[in-house]
Amino acid sequence: MTTLITGANGGLGLGIARYFLEKEPDAKIWLGVRANRTNADALAAEFSGRCVLVDLEVTSKDSWEAAVATITEADGRLDVLVNNAGLHRDHLLATMPDEAWSSVIAANLDSVFLGCRAVIRPMMLNRFGRIINIASLSAILPPLGQTNYAAAKAGVVALTQTLAKEVARSGITVNAVLPGYIQTEALAHMDEEAAKRAKAGIPMRRFGTPAEVAAAVRFLACHDAAYVTGSALKIDGGIF
Amino acid sequence: MAQGEELRSKIKEVMVEELMLDFDAAEIADQTAIFGAGGLGLDSVDALQLVVAIEKHFGLKIADAEKAKGVLQSVETIAQAIETKG
Repeated sequence: MTTLITGANGGLGLGIARYFLEKEPDAKIWLGVRANRTNADALAAEFSGRCVLVDLEVTSKDSWEAAVATITEADGRLDVLVNNAGLHRDHLLATMPDEAWSSVIAANLDSVFLGCRAVIRPMMLNRFGRIINIASLSAILPPLGQTNYAAAKAGVVALTQTLAKEVARSGITVNAVLPGYIQTEALAHMDEEAAKRAKAGIPMRRFGTPAEVAAAVRFLACHDAAYVTGSALKIDGGIF
Repeated sequence: MAQGEELRSKIKEVMVEELMLDFDAAEIADQTAIFGAGGLGLDSVDALQLVVAIEKHFGLKIADAEKAKGVLQSVETIAQAIETKG
């Protein structure tokens, strides 16, 4: 299976890519990256031939078209898209700069729209496709300071459910996963006291790992998950 | 490339197979409306799949919605578009 993972230089994207590469001997993984690509380069070197970088600015229609063309010309198909790229810029709404709103909506929601639209045609031609959108627990349990991020991720869930209906007859499934606290660079800024408080609010009393999100993504990407579409799967240690 | 009756039959087979229609290809008349009441009753989602299927099986690329509206009226209009393409 040929898979494209966006935001592939970050902890979660890398974790998903590594999981696929280790668990699926015939997996071909394309890592969508921008300027920062040190970690992705290292993974591609480790899995030479099965893991390749592709330039992708997820907020650009042209960049998406070029990346998808590169992949389909090289492999003749694109089976799985994992829309993982995203960012957050937390502010209380009353003091949120315009740019913090628009950049978060663009990186988290526009990117998913553009990515889905770019891959639909090649997936329809093959009558097979798996789109997995990485949303967030913030979509349904938004914390203070994330009106931009929570709105974008809730939009991703709604987009996922709508698109799932539109392409269901074409052999394409579209699902979202909603990670809670996952051990990536996004949590690196959290001090020990804040981490302790956060864990106290998680029934499992621990943060999740990228591999635990990747396992869910791998299931949604597999052939056997053909009847699962439009779902929003929480991966959060039991928070609700 | 098939033409005439053979092409029209092939289009009907592709429609039934690709759109998973619940009737036989032979039941579709060349002039039957693809969309709307009194026709095959297909919807916009079927239209999207049909555009891709026509490209895949017959090499006809339907680039925009306006062109699709003209081509996707009946098996006959699809066949004519394929027969006259570039």
